[in-house]
Formats: sequence, C-alpha cells, structure tokens
Amino acid sequence: MQGLTVGDLRIEALDTPPAVQLLWRGKSNERHPGEALAPYFREVLAAAGTRNLPVELHFEKLEHFNSSTITSIIQLIQDSRARSIKLVLVYDQALKWQKLSFDALRVFAKDELLELRSA
Amino acid sequence: MGNFNFSIDLPVRSEWANVDLLRTSVQNCFTAIFSDIEGCHSLAMVTGELIENAIKYGDWTASDEQRFRLRVWGEGRSAHISVENPVRSTDTNAEEVMKTLGWMRSFPSAIEAYRAKLLEIAAADRDPGNSKLGLVRIAYEGNCLLSAALDRGVLRVQAELTV
Repeated sequence: MQGLTVGDLRIEALDTPPAVQLLWRGKSNERHPGEALAPYFREVLAAAGTRNLPVELHFEKLEHFNSSTITSIIQLIQDSRARSIKLVLVYDQALKWQKLSFDALRVFAKDELLELRSA
Repeated sequence: MGNFNFSIDLPVRSEWANVDLLRTSVQNCFTAIFSDIEGCHSLAMVTGELIENAIKYGDWTASDEQRFRLRVWGEGRSAHISVENPVRSTDTNAEEVMKTLGWMRSFPSAIEAYRAKLLEIAAADRDPGNSKLGLVRIAYEGNCLLSAALDRGVLRVQAELTV
C-alpha cells in the first residue's frame, strides 16, 4: 500500500496485520482535498477488503485539517460502512481541536463498523 | 488568555496559499503572546475557515483589486475575526451564508447544529461542495458567535470569541 503526499499533508500507509494503518502528518489544507483523498481512500478500502483487514486512521500527529477534509473523512466513513469494512479513527484527545472534531464524528458510530479511539 | 487589546487589519491577495500563511501567522502571533495554546489554535482555525470561504466564494473577476480584508482584533476578553470580500450581485452565496447562520440559531447549541450538518453531508450522494461546514465548525469548535452582513456588494462575515 502506497502512502500519499498532497500539499502539506503526508499519509504513511502500513498494511501489516492486524490493520491497514494510515498515519496522517502535517496539515490537510488543500482547496479540494477530496480530489486526492477520495481515489486514495478507494484504493485503501479495496486493499483492506481483499485482505479482510480493518482500516485505522491515525491523526495524532496531524497539525490541522480544514473542513473540506472533514467532508472527505465523512465520505470514507460512509464508503467503508457500505463495504462492511471496519474503520477506526485514532486521535489525540489531549489536543482540544482533535477532541472536539472527533467527538462530534461519534454521531456516525452507530455500530461496530466505526470506532473512535483516543490515543 | 488574559485581557488584551490588539488590532490587525490586512488587505490580502486572493490566493489559496495565503490561507495557511495567515492561519499560521495568527496562530504564531498569538502563541507568542498568550499561554493558552488551544485558544490560539481555535483563533487560527476560525481565521483559516473564514479566509477559505472568502477565496472560494468571493467575486474575483475584477482584474484590478483581487483582495479581501482580514481584520483580527481584541478588546477585554473578546477576540473578533472579520473577513470581507466582494460578491457578485447574482451570486447566491451571501444569501446561503445568512441562511446557514439562521439555520444554526434554530438549534439549542452549536454542537447540535454541527452534528446535524455532519449528518446532512453524509446523506448527500457525493461531495456536497458548498456545504457551509466551515461556518458551523467555527461556531462549534471555535466556540464563536457568528454574524454576517452584505453591504454594497461586500460580504462581511465576523466571528466573536470570548476567551
């Protein structure tokens, strides 16, 4: 699984079991982050589906994301659920902005296919 | 953050690279002054979201003056961030901003409005584009009161944060 670099954002991919892990670093501040993230997420879900692995997104080292990035993450939540692939969002609750952003995303945590976990 | 008085007033070129330059400048500036790092991050996030909207939805067809106005000021325990940009008379964005602010006020709290907006985006088939999530995020995550005014072709969106 390849990583992704788009602008100031770097996503490192680790696809060793027990999960496909995406480690987010830097800043997601592109005007249209979905143009790069959406096709990348499709690849990630395809790889995870083939290997029957959950996907873990690690945001602990991320400095900032804009609201357009949140939209892309919501679409990933929807797409992973549609494919019955478990998605885990890991964040640093000691960072107030991360706690607020990810606590709100718990509105989608209605079954075992989405887990939000504080590091 | 303690009491403070300050004012920044900038005419900024409407270029996407300036979003992060100004967002981080606001963050670095306030981090140098105040000890509340999280509060500084909130101010920076609010600044970034307002600037993004100005660049995305402003009318930049006039070739001579492609600038928006960013003002950041504080008095007592209130910080204000205001962004002004030209809008086309035929553009519905300013009206959508006003509608979004009214929609937000229909909720008992900013978190409830924010959750409703997240669900609305999820219900859309694909990227809804102009969802106004940034404005709702400012109210929730930035803990800001938002106001907007349209005057002679200029839209001003202002956020107020009590620190």
